[in-house]
Amino acid sequence: MNLQSLILLSADVTVDKQTGFLGALATAAEDFIKVFNKGGSVLLSLMGGILPTLIVLLTAVNALVRLIGAERIENLGKAAARPGLQWYPVRYIILPFVAVFVLTNPMAYTMGRFLPERFKPAFYDSAVSFVHPILGIFPHANPGELFVYVGIATGIQQLGFGLGDLAVRYLLVGLVVIFIRGIVTEAITARMMKKGA
Amino acid sequence: MGAFNSLIVKIGRGVGGVVGTLYQAGRDSVDTVIRNVIPFMAFISFIIGLILTTGIGDWIAKGLKGSASTLPGLLLISVVCAIPLISPLLGPGAVIAQIVGTLLGVEIGKGNIPAQYSLPALFAINPQVGCDFIPVGLALGEAEPETVEIGVPAVLISRLFTGPLSVVIAYFASFGLYTSK
Repeated sequence: MNLQSLILLSADVTVDKQTGFLGALATAAEDFIKVFNKGGSVLLSLMGGILPTLIVLLTAVNALVRLIGAERIENLGKAAARPGLQWYPVRYIILPFVAVFVLTNPMAYTMGRFLPERFKPAFYDSAVSFVHPILGIFPHANPGELFVYVGIATGIQQLGFGLGDLAVRYLLVGLVVIFIRGIVTEAITARMMKKGA
Repeated sequence: MGAFNSLIVKIGRGVGGVVGTLYQAGRDSVDTVIRNVIPFMAFISFIIGLILTTGIGDWIAKGLKGSASTLPGLLLISVVCAIPLISPLLGPGAVIAQIVGTLLGVEIGKGNIPAQYSLPALFAINPQVGCDFIPVGLALGEAEPETVEIGVPAVLISRLFTGPLSVVIAYFASFGLYTSK
């Protein structure tokens, strides 16, 4: 590069960048505020993006649950208490799903009171493991811990993919996992109770 | 006339009840959002801002890229989260899971972690769910003290098996998820 073009290039610059101590301070200040500007724009996109939908959805589901009445699901709890293989899916898939959907976290665990003692730890394990997989489709169940799902979902959104596929698979795999957890924990509880007695 | 009156009263009460329920539901949901959701959004936004503008992001990316974009790496994360002494410490408020989830989301968004790993990752960061809450959860289910005594270790030990297993299931369920780019 010859001298002429260098002079031409520098003519575009109107203010020299500060150097030395003050320059370093200025750069530090800019970098400092940059963090919060970026954070602010992320906050705005979150509040503009998912918050309005969330509020409307929460309202609709809250109203639905109130109109149905939480006490109606008690019969399901009594059915799940029965022994026998065919009641396993009721106890560790249907009951946790309905309890988490209707009663939400943490009141869902109160449904354990209809079960005999030996099933209670397994039911708790099953229900508590479902409070996040449900978030993709029904965020009303556990809005305080939304970011377990939304954190990862935001990345998917940035790539331009739809979230439906992830949300549905998260829910379905969640149902399989809580079923397995229920069975495994019930078996472990049974062994420990035998040893203790 | 009396029957007509009582009909009007009945309809009025019914509509009033429904509207009242809807209104109360709206009040509840706004309350939840202001108390629980927005504070967490503010906190997460700060962390994302910090990650994206400073070098911390690259540092985390290097650490996570190796472990979160392979099945063995995800299994390792899930085993660590499921260790009975660690899991109750990681549990409270799911704060750890939410922060790690957000970090992973940032890396997925940048393309450092393949998108189809989002599903197994959701399970890998979460085998500790509710491990801090077992005694309270069981008490809510009106369990006897003896059940709580057995239930706490039973759930913690169960997680050691079901935590990694959930990652494997999710891994196989993630085939075909966001692969055609």
